[in-house]
Amino acid sequence: MKKAFILAGGLSAVLMGNAYAENVLNVALNADIRSTDPGVNRDTNSDAVMLHLTEGLVAFREDATVGPLLAKDIQVSEDGLRYTFHLRDGVKFQNGAPLTSAEVLWTWHRYLDPKTQWRCLGEFDGHGGAKIVDVAAPDPLTVVFTLDKPNGMFLTSTSLPECGGSGILHPDSVVDGKWKAPIGTGPFKLGEWKTGQYIDLLRFADYKPRDEAGPDGYTGNKSTTLDRVRLLVIPDPAAAKAALLSKNVDMLIDVTPLDSQELAATPGVKISSSGTMSVNALLFQTRDPLLKDVRMRQAIAYSLDTTQIVAALTNGLSKANNSMVASGSKYHTAVEDQGYGFDPTKAQRLLSEAGYKGQPIKLLVNKRYPSIFDMGVFAQAMAKASGINLELETLEWGTQLERYQTGNFQMMGFPYSERLDPALSFDSVTGDKDKEPRKVWDNPDAKQWLQEAMRESDPAKRQALFDKLHQQMIKDVPLIPLYNGNSISALRDYVQGFRSWPVSKPRLWTVSVRRT
Amino acid sequence: MMRFISQRLAMALPTLLLISLMVFAIIRLVPGDPALLMLGDMADAHSLEVTRAALGLDQSLPVQFLIWGKAVLSGDLGHSITTNQAVLPLILDRFQVSAGIVLVSVLLAALIAVPAGLFAAWKQNSSLDFSVVATATLLLSIPSFWLGLLLLYGFGIKLGWLPVVGYVSFGDAPWQALSYVVLPIVTLTLVELGAITRMARASAIEVLRLEYITHARAKGLSEGAVLWRHALRNAFAPTLTLIGLILGNLLSGIAVLETVFTLPGIGRLMVDAIYARDYPVLQGCLLLVTFVYVLVNLLVDLLYPLFDPRVKL
Repeated sequence: MKKAFILAGGLSAVLMGNAYAENVLNVALNADIRSTDPGVNRDTNSDAVMLHLTEGLVAFREDATVGPLLAKDIQVSEDGLRYTFHLRDGVKFQNGAPLTSAEVLWTWHRYLDPKTQWRCLGEFDGHGGAKIVDVAAPDPLTVVFTLDKPNGMFLTSTSLPECGGSGILHPDSVVDGKWKAPIGTGPFKLGEWKTGQYIDLLRFADYKPRDEAGPDGYTGNKSTTLDRVRLLVIPDPAAAKAALLSKNVDMLIDVTPLDSQELAATPGVKISSSGTMSVNALLFQTRDPLLKDVRMRQAIAYSLDTTQIVAALTNGLSKANNSMVASGSKYHTAVEDQGYGFDPTKAQRLLSEAGYKGQPIKLLVNKRYPSIFDMGVFAQAMAKASGINLELETLEWGTQLERYQTGNFQMMGFPYSERLDPALSFDSVTGDKDKEPRKVWDNPDAKQWLQEAMRESDPAKRQALFDKLHQQMIKDVPLIPLYNGNSISALRDYVQGFRSWPVSKPRLWTVSVRRT
Repeated sequence: MMRFISQRLAMALPTLLLISLMVFAIIRLVPGDPALLMLGDMADAHSLEVTRAALGLDQSLPVQFLIWGKAVLSGDLGHSITTNQAVLPLILDRFQVSAGIVLVSVLLAALIAVPAGLFAAWKQNSSLDFSVVATATLLLSIPSFWLGLLLLYGFGIKLGWLPVVGYVSFGDAPWQALSYVVLPIVTLTLVELGAITRMARASAIEVLRLEYITHARAKGLSEGAVLWRHALRNAFAPTLTLIGLILGNLLSGIAVLETVFTLPGIGRLMVDAIYARDYPVLQGCLLLVTFVYVLVNLLVDLLYPLFDPRVKL
């Protein structure tokens, strides 16, 4: 009897063991991450991975507005100088320690220490954005930030993916003054990072989700059903596609429009896509002897059938947008819809007025971003029909980036990475060329309006400023924004719950896997 | 022998110094700024300045070279600009992946190609010879990435026998590791078969025309004994040189295959380092590659007298 009992127990244990299958999601990553230190040694893949491990006080919602994450609520003082964050109770770090204001203080002191080399220090030390003059913790669940002057971008800057979402870390993340590994409060904890091969994220069993019914961008309820996520580094797109087809990976998160069309037709594979806030544009050097004449720049703008170019470049996934205010932004209104229009006759009249005699204009492109090369080819062909002689020069990306930074170009096809607020988008192109040659738009009025938009937090007033900026940009033509990028992912059909969104980074806590 | 080895290794030192100087200078002549590549299009002047200072790029080039050279002499190849990892363990880790695949592939290729070449030479102008030459020419003409993709498609996607991406170290799980390297090894073996076969055949044809072979046959030795005992050793010597060159070339990185099969080898590391302008990693890789070339050539020189007694060290 005793033996039978033991046998039955053993058998059931074996069966239970067999019944449990680890729920794993395998995702292809097109390049390895740079480090596990959020917002420090980073790139877009590093940000995407770190935002699964750490959480900030606030985060972007689905519509790219900012909402609380580790904070229960946020109070802003009437003078706009003090931000009080009340922390959620019961949140734990991945080492089991509770989240208190002490860790928030430690994290922010570390971020604000120049030795940390936090990418976003300039956004908070007065160099480029707000200036934090004090961070205080009046009680274990309250943190108060004090700024030197009101800043409408403070919460947005705090949430930026490139800042690691200002993720709050446990002090044990650093040992003897050296970065060890992130101990955050996110739904996943770091398993193993095998450089050049894979990154394993493990479900954090004690994760305390927010009370919302479901996820909302980088905030909301972020609980997950996955036990493990393996992010496999596969730099070659053909190998990544082969891996998806052979089910070696379940998901590709960076698919070109052309590949998406092919994959969509493959049985067992589905596509998820969303417009993002990145901007693909043709830049002008407004100090170039030929292009300093605004009529030349306008002529090029009118010679391009932007709608047709964008439809061809994106297989119809994006629509043309001549504004720096992204199509998906809540600030994109009918005013921002007003672009250049395709008018070859007007282009030819402007060229004649400017005295253009067919001199060659060098247009720099690269093949790291195939859409930029293709954009250049289309622009060259269309401009030629209006008598404009664009010559393409293809550069390696590092070389082109240097030419961009130094302003050493006549025209350039350029992919601006996503800025999640129109003020940041305008800031990427507007400024003093003598100090920052990469800025293509050096208009005193525009600089003034931009400063106001950075300070202002009232949405209606910000809208008015963005409208003015857009209308002036259309007149000055320092660049031609063509369209906002697309975030396209390809998934096996058993991968459920994944949704692309305007922030072109995956949120894998939303995903469940139901293999048959 | 020991004197010869130490002389050759001593001769490698100026080569390594010259190479390190050239690599240091050339990579910095290439446009592109590592700090800028790190920060991307969001780089403002202040952040750029801070990052350059943190990476030591604000120092003059001679100062940068002296700092690096001094560290190299003490066995420290610095830290990666991209990931901040120590360069020496990083490149050794990646090198062992490439080296394992290359050594097995070249060995397999040699084991197949040398007898095939010898056999084709023995049956010169026969249909067998024609088949061997045609196959070798075909393999020589196939780009490695194409063959790799074809094998991936066939055995990975269509048949599903082997994994398409990933890598497992032999130390962790030998059988699983084998499944990941089969396709790269087969691809590389097939690609290298062509050149070695043709070289082995050409050498064997020359040797088989020599008088001592006629003499051996006149003595009444069997064709097998003539071929394997007398022709092979002499015919193999020039092929050995070619194998050495192939080995040196492949050990410096099989970047294309590593990309196709997602292998974390030294070739891919070098390509990534070039794109990211990761100077310390690139300098470290090229130093290692130069050193490997020197060693492989030394090894070939040491082995040569075993096959051709006329050569003395």
